[in-house]
Amino acid sequence: MKNKKGAIEFSFAWIFAIIAGMFILFLAIYGVIKFIHLQKTEIDAETAKGIGVLTNPFEAGFESSTRDRITLPTLTRIYLDCDNGSIFGRQIISTSEKLSNRWSEEDGRLTEVSFQNRYIFGKNPVEGKSFYMFSKPFEMPFKVGDLIYLTSTEDKYCFIDPPKSIEDELEDIIYTGEEETSPYENFFIVDRRTECPSESTTICFSGNCDVYISTTLQRNYVQKGSRRVYYEGDALMYAAIFSDYEYYECQLDRLMNRTEQLFEVYNGKSKFVFYQSGCDSGLDFEFSEMLALIKGFQDSRDIYPIYDLSDIIELKNKQGECRLW
Amino acid sequence: MKTTNKKAQMKIQQMSFMIVAVFLFLSMVGMVVLTLKLSETRSDATKLQEQNAMLLASKIANSPEFSCENAYYGESDCIDLDKVLILKNNIAKYTWKGSNFWGVTNIEIRKIYPATTPYHEIECTYTNYPNCNYIKLINSPDATGIGKSNYVALCRKERYNGETVDKCEMGEIILSYKTYT
Repeated sequence: MKNKKGAIEFSFAWIFAIIAGMFILFLAIYGVIKFIHLQKTEIDAETAKGIGVLTNPFEAGFESSTRDRITLPTLTRIYLDCDNGSIFGRQIISTSEKLSNRWSEEDGRLTEVSFQNRYIFGKNPVEGKSFYMFSKPFEMPFKVGDLIYLTSTEDKYCFIDPPKSIEDELEDIIYTGEEETSPYENFFIVDRRTECPSESTTICFSGNCDVYISTTLQRNYVQKGSRRVYYEGDALMYAAIFSDYEYYECQLDRLMNRTEQLFEVYNGKSKFVFYQSGCDSGLDFEFSEMLALIKGFQDSRDIYPIYDLSDIIELKNKQGECRLW
Repeated sequence: MKTTNKKAQMKIQQMSFMIVAVFLFLSMVGMVVLTLKLSETRSDATKLQEQNAMLLASKIANSPEFSCENAYYGESDCIDLDKVLILKNNIAKYTWKGSNFWGVTNIEIRKIYPATTPYHEIECTYTNYPNCNYIKLINSPDATGIGKSNYVALCRKERYNGETVDKCEMGEIILSYKTYT
């Protein structure tokens, strides 16, 4: 390698071998990194899509408060996002998995999967290996959709002295179905705040706690810190408990848009069946009023008059000679 | 001395060519593995989509846009045909950026019994309703083959002897979903 003058001398073959070797090593390392990245993205996309598919039975809504448990192979973060930029908006789900002590989201963008007909409520992100899901139908007054609530087994929720109807329902969620032998470990019903497990989110109907729920005859609301959202009906109450302010408002907006489309369909049906069969629902005036109210919907503060009118419509539909739903 | 140097150079050259050959071989193996892996991913996606469509076929009859709810007393797995006819006229709103609200490529509702005699394929419109036998709600041009169907009751309001009656017939709902090829 050394010539007579002592300088290092490389033949073509050596230079070629070094360059080819470096190139090969670079390509091999690059290929392996790309392949691992592809694998991680694939796992994330599959998990996100899988969660969407797993929520299908909840959407069927054959019974109220359907519940289930999902267990994933690794520690997973489920990101829930809402887009209300189109008529029905989108429920966006993305997941990040912890593989070899590293979250897949740290390697780049999260893979998103979106659904136009899903409404999932939960903390953002929900993190854990096991997740509980239950659902409740959102009715205004006919069924508009099923709201799905997603919680991690690691996130504890402590309900302090809830009203009887809510306590019964929660007990139903906690103890019934296939979970009879091992009840939902993350929901607790207690009489006093001091009985709540440490690090649990406290939910109360009077006094001070993390999530305060006001149940009055008008304008029910859920207060979390300084933010307040309004709800009517149990389905929206749970939605407000488990999600944050902006997310709840966005999902409610999507639900209102679907309600509007359904009212337009029922309005059309009412006129059509009257023309076809002489069957008069007598709801034409209420439908126009409701459509005007929903078109003016801005945020959850506007929910009460809509809910109130939907009660009147429900009663009229039940008592009328021509039931539309 | 010179001969040894030449021999060594030859060996290095041989080794370089071997390295290149081994690399090319490994890249080809890698490409085959990657192709297999990608086709596996596609089949997993199709499997998930198929699972989704199977559940969708059974649940769509109960979704608010199709379901009879309590309009026709005591019917389960029931599609309100009056409502679906109105929905057909509003269906453009249920499609956004090439994908529709239910995430399928085709939704069709067919009356099975009683069949129209003589049997003709008649698509329902406002003018021929209810003397027709199918409603095509969504018919996407990229609907690729695989369909799932479910038997349902098709109910509507009808005038009979001067009175409004509920009439239910036997039908099926057929869905298609996109396959990843």
